[in-house]
Amino acid sequence: MFFITYLRRELRRRMRQAVLIALGLALGIGLVVTVTAASAGVKKAQADVLKSLYGVGTDITVTGKPPRAPTSASGPPKGATTFQVGPGGAKVCQNGKCENAAGKTIAHLTPGNYGPISQSKVAEVAGLKNVAAAAGGLVLTDTGVKIPKNFGGIGGGSAPPTPTQFNVDGVDTSHLSLGPLSAGKVTSGRSLTSADATSNVAVVDSGYAITHKLKVGSKVSVAGHDFTVIGIVSQPQGGSPPAVYIPLARAQALATGSTSKSLKNKVNAIYVTAASAADISAVQSEIKHLLPADTVTTAASLASQVTGSVSSTAKLANDLGKWLSILVLIAAFAVASLLTMSAVGRRVREFGTLKALGWRSRRIIAQVIGESLVIGIVGGAAGVVLGFAGAAIITSVAPTLTGDLTSPTGQHIQAAGGSGGGPVSFSPTASHTVAVPMSASVTAGAIALAVVLALAGGLLAGSFGSWRIARLRPADALARVA
Amino acid sequence: MNTGGMEPDATQPRGRKPDGTNRQENTLMYQLTDVTKLYTKGRHTVPAVRDLSLVIRDGEWLAIQGRTGHGKSTLLNLLGMLDRPSSGTIDMDGKNLTRLPGRQASRLRAKSIGFIFQTFNLVPTLSAAENVEAALIPLGVRAAERRRRVAAALDSVALGDRARHLPGEMSGGQQQRVAVARALIKEPTVLLADEPTGNLDEDTRDEIINLLEKLWRERGLTLVLVTHDTAIARRAQRVGVMSKGLLTIQAGDRPAPASDLMTG
Repeated sequence: MFFITYLRRELRRRMRQAVLIALGLALGIGLVVTVTAASAGVKKAQADVLKSLYGVGTDITVTGKPPRAPTSASGPPKGATTFQVGPGGAKVCQNGKCENAAGKTIAHLTPGNYGPISQSKVAEVAGLKNVAAAAGGLVLTDTGVKIPKNFGGIGGGSAPPTPTQFNVDGVDTSHLSLGPLSAGKVTSGRSLTSADATSNVAVVDSGYAITHKLKVGSKVSVAGHDFTVIGIVSQPQGGSPPAVYIPLARAQALATGSTSKSLKNKVNAIYVTAASAADISAVQSEIKHLLPADTVTTAASLASQVTGSVSSTAKLANDLGKWLSILVLIAAFAVASLLTMSAVGRRVREFGTLKALGWRSRRIIAQVIGESLVIGIVGGAAGVVLGFAGAAIITSVAPTLTGDLTSPTGQHIQAAGGSGGGPVSFSPTASHTVAVPMSASVTAGAIALAVVLALAGGLLAGSFGSWRIARLRPADALARVA
Repeated sequence: MNTGGMEPDATQPRGRKPDGTNRQENTLMYQLTDVTKLYTKGRHTVPAVRDLSLVIRDGEWLAIQGRTGHGKSTLLNLLGMLDRPSSGTIDMDGKNLTRLPGRQASRLRAKSIGFIFQTFNLVPTLSAAENVEAALIPLGVRAAERRRRVAAALDSVALGDRARHLPGEMSGGQQQRVAVARALIKEPTVLLADEPTGNLDEDTRDEIINLLEKLWRERGLTLVLVTHDTAIARRAQRVGVMSKGLLTIQAGDRPAPASDLMTG
């Protein structure tokens, strides 16, 4: 075909220039592909963070209205556990009742920063339009304090006790496909089932199991009650997923709210799956209308709360990377266009001759655009290769990213032993830190983008050349060289 | 009125028209009436061709002479529809070229007009065969037919063995022969040659002019040839001399066409 022959010969003639244009485009497109891949990797990392916290398939999370934070002036909230240290030794008090705490281990299962939501609301949420499924859960913190026998006696006794904490999730055993346990992979034993709803059984996170030497059949103490470990579960990413998963009904029975009220028939988190991704926003609005006091969070809005290196990297990829790519692309397109115009300028006699032979401008323009498109496609292909290389480099050299979501447990503990002689108060926080490896992977979308950019670059450069050809009068073209 | 006129002789070249019909004696190929072409250079308007009326008969060989910048090439461009007159009309084979839309002008150029340039104007990246083939592209001739005609055209200019050579690999004379093959492969009715021997040595010049004359004779072409060379110009039937945009017609050595067609 003459068109192909002519195109091939012309590109071969100005090989150096064609390679220069293609390299420019390749650089720009490669950068776009790399940044897109990095961005996709960061998004995946963010998704992994969220997945490890809220499980797979959860589009929206509803959490109860946080209880009012105690102020230093108001003292501990009503029903809070307090330690009193006096001449009679250490006492633990709750609602005005005190008992000797020396040598005792006091364990509490509390809902942290999330206020209670009536369990009936879970069914109401599930019944909303465009909601595929909803499951309730209790996000709890088990705090255990072992009071030394000689603590608080005359002379102060031993140092203040250090509370031990781990996160406990009450899981709706009838909706195991939603919620934090849904993302986990059972590595030993089995997961919870509906039959376990009222049993003292627990599934333990693999990291926690290793640390505390737990295995299937071991006992784990939750709120002072022994639970039999029936399974070990591994979450997709490392970090700090809930340590222990127990049936929701047992969690409701054992947990106490911020004012020591029972959490029976209460949840503090509702995990919701929308019928489709497009419905998430509408479902969020409906839930907000249904539960105006509670916090309705989508995966997207939660992502904005994730801090740590994963957040910084996302900003780097989205801001610096994006603008750098755009600048390089503009430069590449400009160079391609200028060089193509320059090439057309050098071929004025050739095009004038072709017009004299009866070639219409349209045919000559098609020839020039064809040449530019081939250069663009070659540049695009090279750009994709560069993009893959860039993504591979990022994956190999990028450090593991971490995502942090920190929330106070709402627990308020006062203990003696402050430097001024007064009580020391501390409010433990539940920090979710998830470590995720940064993996920049070139997606089909990135390749499609590269193809579009390559074609756009070729067309743009060809268009500038074509504009010049269209204005070319054959007599002028021939006169210029005569 | 600037009119070329001279006493004619009825002797005509042999040949048939490209469509296979016999060349019609005394028919008009071109009729130019009061043609003026103005160019604007900066703030000045320069007349390249002034008020020119001319008749060129079908199958005639007209040579145009004149000093550089006096309108020879402009006249050739007007005849080849590479440019349009500022005023006046140009009829070719009964068609008013001045009103012809660009698309039809391209079509007419592709089909009926062959060009030969002083600098050969071959596409440097294409081989001799491909350069010749380029003239058939706008006509939509099938590839197999193109190849056959290209081979025949190159044979007709004795370059059959150079088909795959690039212009840079050929001498000036060979390149001009490729250009002649390119101009003639589409079997045009008109051949416009702008100083075709200007870049050639004396021997090669004679070779090209002999070739053109042979083709003119055999094919019954209308040949308009711009040249500085008086010896070449004298071989034409008529010689037009352009001076400051004005044309004066003189007799060539060859018998001239019929007198009744010589006035505009």
